[in-house]
Amino acid sequence: MSSITVLYFAQVAELTQQRQESWEIAAPTSVSTWLTQLVERYPALAPMQERLKVAVNQYHVNHDAIITPGDEVAVFEPVTGG
Amino acid sequence: MVTVQEHDFNVSDLIERLHQKHAGQNGALLSFIGYVRDFNPDAPTETLFLEHYPGMCEREITDICEYAKQRWDILDYCVVHRVGELHLGEQIVFVGVCSIHRGDAFAAGEYIIDALKTRAPFWKRETLQSGEKFWVQQRDSDVTKTAQWEQQHD
Repeated sequence: MSSITVLYFAQVAELTQQRQESWEIAAPTSVSTWLTQLVERYPALAPMQERLKVAVNQYHVNHDAIITPGDEVAVFEPVTGG
Repeated sequence: MVTVQEHDFNVSDLIERLHQKHAGQNGALLSFIGYVRDFNPDAPTETLFLEHYPGMCEREITDICEYAKQRWDILDYCVVHRVGELHLGEQIVFVGVCSIHRGDAFAAGEYIIDALKTRAPFWKRETLQSGEKFWVQQRDSDVTKTAQWEQQHD
């Protein structure tokens, strides 16, 4: 398996016009490197790139975390529940 | 108990259930209810739409509550959070905590709602009476409050 499942939420979903997609990755890659690729694919996300948060397999991660094939990767802005 | 649901909740029932589960041991029960409010007085709110990340949301809230249970002497907790479209004045979230002594219930309850606001994957989209829609941005003060809880524990 050389793909990850990417989930988009809230404003990120609106800007990418996607809620979920499969994404090929050749090798494990850092969240920061992958976010750069994400913004290249969806330039509409560029203004909020610094604010983007990532969860891998449903856990919050920092931008130096590693994404590996098979992972579920979610992208969103800071949460606003409660 | 942690529940994420679209429909409204009955606060009296939730409190009674939490109390009855530990009747005799409970010395204190703290409850917090969050409501949909007017965010901006100059631009009246019509509705709030709450989106969430199913699965991660429930797990993240459970982790927050279990951490609170380890850190403070609480007997039990109950969190109910609504999603979907909510109108002004409606209930959004219930946090209930019971303990032997009130101090632990106050601290644990405040920690749970603070941590939920910065960690549980929910997002609010506000619709104004004018029809304008926008995603609510996280408040720096919420992030600071959660960080303070973590610093206090170091």
